[in-house]
Amino acid sequence: MSKKDKEKSSEDPKIDEILESSRRDFLKKVGIVGAASVAGAAAIYSGYRYEHAKSDGESVKVLTEDNRLVLIPKDQMKDYKPDPKRLLLRGRDGIKGKKWVMIIDLSKCRNARKCVNACQGAHHLRPYEYHINTLQMQESVNTPAYHMPKPCQHCDNPPCVSVCPVDATFKRQDGIVLIDNERCIGCRFCMAACPYSARMFHWQEPLAAEADKGKEYDIELNVPQKKGTISKCLFSADRLREGALPYCVSACPNGVFYFGDENENAVTNGTTKETVNLKELLEKNGAYRLMAELGTKPRVYYLPPKNRIFDFEKGEEQEYKELT
Amino acid sequence: MRRYFFGLLLIQLLIPTLSAQEWIVPADKKGKLSTFPFNDETRKAGEKLYSINCMSCHGTPGKANYLPLVPPPGDPATEKIQKNNDGEIFYKVSVGRGQMPSFRSVLTSNEIWNVVSFLRSFNTAYKQQVMPVITSSAYPGAVIGLLVSFNPADSTIILKASATSEKSSVPVADAEVKLLVKRTFGMLPVDEPQTTDKEGLATFRVPADLKGDTAGMVLVSARFTDEDVFGSAGKDTLLNAGQKVTPVSLVAQRAMWNNVRKAPVWIILAYGLGVLIAWGFILLVLMKLRDIYLVGEIVSSDKKE
Ligand code: SF4
Ligand code: SF4
Ligand code: SF4
Repeated sequence: MSKKDKEKSSEDPKIDEILESSRRDFLKKVGIVGAASVAGAAAIYSGYRYEHAKSDGESVKVLTEDNRLVLIPKDQMKDYKPDPKRLLLRGRDGIKGKKWVMIIDLSKCRNARKCVNACQGAHHLRPYEYHINTLQMQESVNTPAYHMPKPCQHCDNPPCVSVCPVDATFKRQDGIVLIDNERCIGCRFCMAACPYSARMFHWQEPLAAEADKGKEYDIELNVPQKKGTISKCLFSADRLREGALPYCVSACPNGVFYFGDENENAVTNGTTKETVNLKELLEKNGAYRLMAELGTKPRVYYLPPKNRIFDFEKGEEQEYKELT
Repeated sequence: MRRYFFGLLLIQLLIPTLSAQEWIVPADKKGKLSTFPFNDETRKAGEKLYSINCMSCHGTPGKANYLPLVPPPGDPATEKIQKNNDGEIFYKVSVGRGQMPSFRSVLTSNEIWNVVSFLRSFNTAYKQQVMPVITSSAYPGAVIGLLVSFNPADSTIILKASATSEKSSVPVADAEVKLLVKRTFGMLPVDEPQTTDKEGLATFRVPADLKGDTAGMVLVSARFTDEDVFGSAGKDTLLNAGQKVTPVSLVAQRAMWNNVRKAPVWIILAYGLGVLIAWGFILLVLMKLRDIYLVGEIVSSDKKE
């Protein structure tokens, strides 16, 4: 009970009783809260500090993880210090029971480059540093040109991981290939080994080096980025942990990307949010994987650029048109 | 005469292409109206939704700064788009066509109406008609509910819709219902939407490749298609209707790219042997050096004598 409550209680014994019972009720809940997760404890602690500054009552108001405002007796409060290794550990482990897949429908890509921009924004990259890029493709002079967004393929047999001498880049149980920038020695073996040119190297001080100084390194976001190390597409592992679609997938205005869990046999379109049967989508559209003959077993599938509903425009032409 | 003939031919040829570009909205969808009146609040909500979902192609209304696509998305403030009636705009936003994505899974119908409300604020001549409130006369004062169950014998999910009031419970007939399964990022439709029969029953066929959790459980959600009439009443049920799936970790196997503990056995053996041989060789050299040293000792002590 806060000070205010106490003042009120002296006026009316009935209210006092109600407050007392709600306090007992609340104490019961404390047991549950006590068993809550470490993150919950963090919220409790910050709430405690806030309340400590405000009142000298015997209980404090605390905002729990699920956004409930509860009262906690002061003598039950404990200090909480987050484990500095926790982000690294969960980043190495991956999300249990998942098997992420991405499907890129080339027939819909018209080079809006919203995926590129969203990704660069999230990972603090310069306009010419790419985790995903849209390429201009043309197989032969007689076949039409098309645009191809190309992120890391998150290979199930990743040559980049095999060659890393210090175990800095690794594969997780949910299929994502990540990099630990604090371990990476910048040898660039992995860049040479990747047949998809999916990796980039920070030759210069990263874009947001100043602004990100002192931030806790999140291995699932590669932020803060680090000079002299590698960066690449992470399948937006930080977003997946929150149950959200990757940045590029939800940014596309043209419905190019599908993303989902292979174990569920379903993928969701980032634009229309329609969820479809994964196997059916791949079968009906003649899906393929990039350079599958190399045995890298990519987790990214492409749907061929058939029945396109617009003409190919080169990037510069389109940019010019967008500006004018 | 010939010119006239060619002119006629040209018109004949053009008409189908022109009409193919026309975006036909089914007659029964044209007259659809919002169930709530548009006001500043709905316009504001619509503006926010518009800026997230529509602005990237259609630009700012009234500024004609839409993307130069073929066909052009157009500025929603212009007469071309404003002459659509509410139902037509609602339909086009929900269903989409060509490059215009469908928004029915992104926005709820109320949200689409908010967008319509925002777009209409650019039309001074617009006068809103609100849908007369349906007092579902067949089920006055009743709570409309859905019940689903799984029939493993023929792998179907049976849905029962009924309207329950204090006194009685009557089946809801002729209502379109859909069944969805919860997936990580959205809801996967099971079978096509069905219409309930006289007993309020509808049967959905469960596809053979519907994946469940380790016990085969799936979270099934039943909904009425026409939320305007039946409300957003729905039912989420955990059913044992899916295939059992035991997820396999993608780093379970021994491989070159896996971590040290999961390296292939032949690598561990070959590496171990390599290290042994190398150290063995070094040890051999050291022992030979010691032998030479010892021989030297003997020789020098011989010399002294
Ligand atoms: S550059 Fe970094 S991640 Fe790549 S192989 Fe070298 S140490 Fe490993
Ligand atoms: S695409 Fe390249 S960087 Fe990505 S997992 Fe495969 S080999 Fe590694
Ligand atoms: S999945 Fe994430 S990291 Fe990969 S390209 Fe898309 S936005 Fe970038």
